Amino acid sequence: MTSTKVTSTTPAAPPRQAAPRLGPGGWLRWAWRQLTSMRTALVLLFLLAIASVPGSVLPQEGIDPAAVSQYHTAHPSLAPILNRLSLFSVFAAPWFAAIYLLLFLSLAGCVLPRTFRLVGQARQQPPRAPRRLTRLPMSASYQTALPPEQALAGAGSLLGGKRFRLRTGEGWVSAEKGYLREVGNLIFHIALLALLASVGIGGVFGYKANRLLVAGQSFADTPTALDVFRPGRLVSPSDLAPFSVGLQHFSASYVRSGPTVDEPITFNAALRYTAAPGQPARSYDLQVNHPLVVDGVSVYLIGHGYAPEFTVTDGKGNVVFRGAVPFIPVEQSGLTSEGVIKVPDATPTQLGFAGVFLPSAQAQGGRLVSVFPAALRPEVSLITYGGNLGLNSGASQSVYSLDLSGMHQLPVAPRPLAIGQSMTLPNGAGKITYTGYRQWISLAITYDPGQLPALISGVLALAGLILSFMVRRRRVFVRAAPGPDGSTLVEVGGLARSDAAGGFETEFAELARDLRTAQDGTAIAPPVSAEPGAADAADAADAADAADAADAEAAEAAEAEAAEAESESESDGADLAPAEPDRAELDTAASDSAESDTAGLDPEPVSAGPVGAGPVSSDHDQSLGVRDGE
Amino acid sequence: MSCSARLPAVTAAAAAMLALAGCGGGAIGADTPASSGQSFVGSAYNSTVFRAGGRPAAPDISGTTLAGQHLSLSAYRGSVVILNFWGSWCSPCRAEAPDLTALAANYSARGVRFLGVDIRDDPVSADAFVKSFRVPYPSLNDPSDELALAFRGTVPPAAIPSTLVIDRRGRIAARILGSVSYDSLRVLITQVTRG
Repeated sequence: MTSTKVTSTTPAAPPRQAAPRLGPGGWLRWAWRQLTSMRTALVLLFLLAIASVPGSVLPQEGIDPAAVSQYHTAHPSLAPILNRLSLFSVFAAPWFAAIYLLLFLSLAGCVLPRTFRLVGQARQQPPRAPRRLTRLPMSASYQTALPPEQALAGAGSLLGGKRFRLRTGEGWVSAEKGYLREVGNLIFHIALLALLASVGIGGVFGYKANRLLVAGQSFADTPTALDVFRPGRLVSPSDLAPFSVGLQHFSASYVRSGPTVDEPITFNAALRYTAAPGQPARSYDLQVNHPLVVDGVSVYLIGHGYAPEFTVTDGKGNVVFRGAVPFIPVEQSGLTSEGVIKVPDATPTQLGFAGVFLPSAQAQGGRLVSVFPAALRPEVSLITYGGNLGLNSGASQSVYSLDLSGMHQLPVAPRPLAIGQSMTLPNGAGKITYTGYRQWISLAITYDPGQLPALISGVLALAGLILSFMVRRRRVFVRAAPGPDGSTLVEVGGLARSDAAGGFETEFAELARDLRTAQDGTAIAPPVSAEPGAADAADAADAADAADAADAEAAEAAEAEAAEAESESESDGADLAPAEPDRAELDTAASDSAESDTAGLDPEPVSAGPVGAGPVSSDHDQSLGVRDGE
Repeated sequence: MSCSARLPAVTAAAAAMLALAGCGGGAIGADTPASSGQSFVGSAYNSTVFRAGGRPAAPDISGTTLAGQHLSLSAYRGSVVILNFWGSWCSPCRAEAPDLTALAANYSARGVRFLGVDIRDDPVSADAFVKSFRVPYPSLNDPSDELALAFRGTVPPAAIPSTLVIDRRGRIAARILGSVSYDSLRVLITQVTRG
């Protein structure tokens, strides 16, 4: 028995996947298989991560165009090269889209076929009972006075009562439980597809926008009012939710002493908004991570700063500018901020000012710095320019920088101004007065219709994953045959198909005991099978294979073989004939997951461990997860 | 390696990466505000023209002009109206202002009315703009874009500047995104005045 058995199982690696034919169809299939392979998905995922790095290192056109133009000025030779490589708009770059789409395709191409396979597995019937149940990892036998048919019927109803899925045959009952594992797996896969689809939906129908809002101002959600507007592919300006938001008041509080001095404690933005024109105005207290949600659109508070107010009188005595100018913080501990004032309609010459705003001005080592982020002593210092601002040319210009190519600095000593103080400009150019300050907030407006579906699918995917890890599939086989003394010999065998959360031994022992007591049986001591040894291990492995045979696409073939085996004489010893196809399968599984702990998966897996322990069941766990469509 | 071998692990890794990536922009004040006031179209010329049969009706907007008078668009019904959305801070608006002023001077006598909508501006700067360019027509003050919003569902002024040509029956005949030139707008005015 042993010799024939071993030779029949060792021709171990019949590679089922033929090398690709070199015809165009073959190449296409090969390319598709490469694209949908997990290796490619991993590489793409890694590439995606690397590709996002420049997006956080370099200034981005979509987020901060002013910083991009500053970068151009600072690196005149490098910037055009980076620009040509789309490195200033990474997330809109063609190569970024290529990576994303390939990853999408790769994942979808992997998950979709697997989903269909899992549906098949979840609907599968238990396999036929192996011939010798005593060779299974767990077995028990007893004698009963009941005739075999009744013993089997009783066993079937007992197992059915425990919600096993049943299959019966001539002299045997096989039962399987734990299909929830497959259901969990299925949920995970479908949810993963839904997650991908949700992300896609968000990209096509969603939009993102930014707006800087000075206290006292309001804006409507329409493209002209948005500083940055990034619509999805199918979003038109008319699709924007027609709400209006006004900032009444903004307050921030900071730690005043101790090791975390200058750290912000709270931010509160008192908003007044209307959901649509003509609707009543409502108030909302906007805080960080507590967005205002209107019409499914979320408005987040993402930044704040100061907007000093100025009045500019030109050389003719006309007031040509009066308003608050947002300055951008250049450091966080004192919120020192920089900004520019452009006065294009001043006469006799256009005026420009580059300013620094110091919320808590204090002289330190001959320099004026801001020592605290709150406006305790708000001062502003200005450099004055005259000439041509370049605004009348029509070329786009950032409101945060001056184009100095047509300007010259006016000879006026920069001196810090306190609120209410003025600076008279030389050559009769006029006068600028610093009249006060306001605060501004910056808002991120996002509409992502895929967000909720993505959340739901994410949770479902996790639940499915947990389910598939927690539930194990286990099989119980019962055979009943007339015994030598007129009584009936009942054999019970058990097999857990996965090593997830052990404990099947106990369950099996209880089941076997229940069966025996229900049928008034007398226990028989288990025969030699409890003894570990190469031959028995081989049989056990084969038993496991046989049990799994029905799983494979080759299930029918295997069953045909099994039927043949049954019709053969008992003496052939290799009682679990349909080993071949499964052996092949096991081996592909081994090569598929070479890096995992697959101690038992070398060409002679059978000799590796004790009966029913790790190798057999864990191999099968692998093959359960790994089996490929080929 | 089979596609399915380590799917859950890969998914978990992907989720972790995305979560990490999502952490980046969370802190308030950590990044500069995403604002540059550049929602105008530079030199790109982008116009939409409707045939007489398919013109959407313009909403009846009304408000206070920079000079402090109440004005509504419907008061101009019966005339071809050039509605120009602008701001004194916007470079292309300043570039097109002389052409608009010249057109207004030449076509007012032929019954074409001009009306401005001053967007996201302070009244002092807007007045200075009007004086600099000697703009002869009134402008409604729209600091919070409410008037622009009213055009939602038609052809909204999706950029600054935007110019709408409204026919005698109060329907939008054309929209130009970006700076207009004397000749481009003159052609449209002639078309709409005839039809």
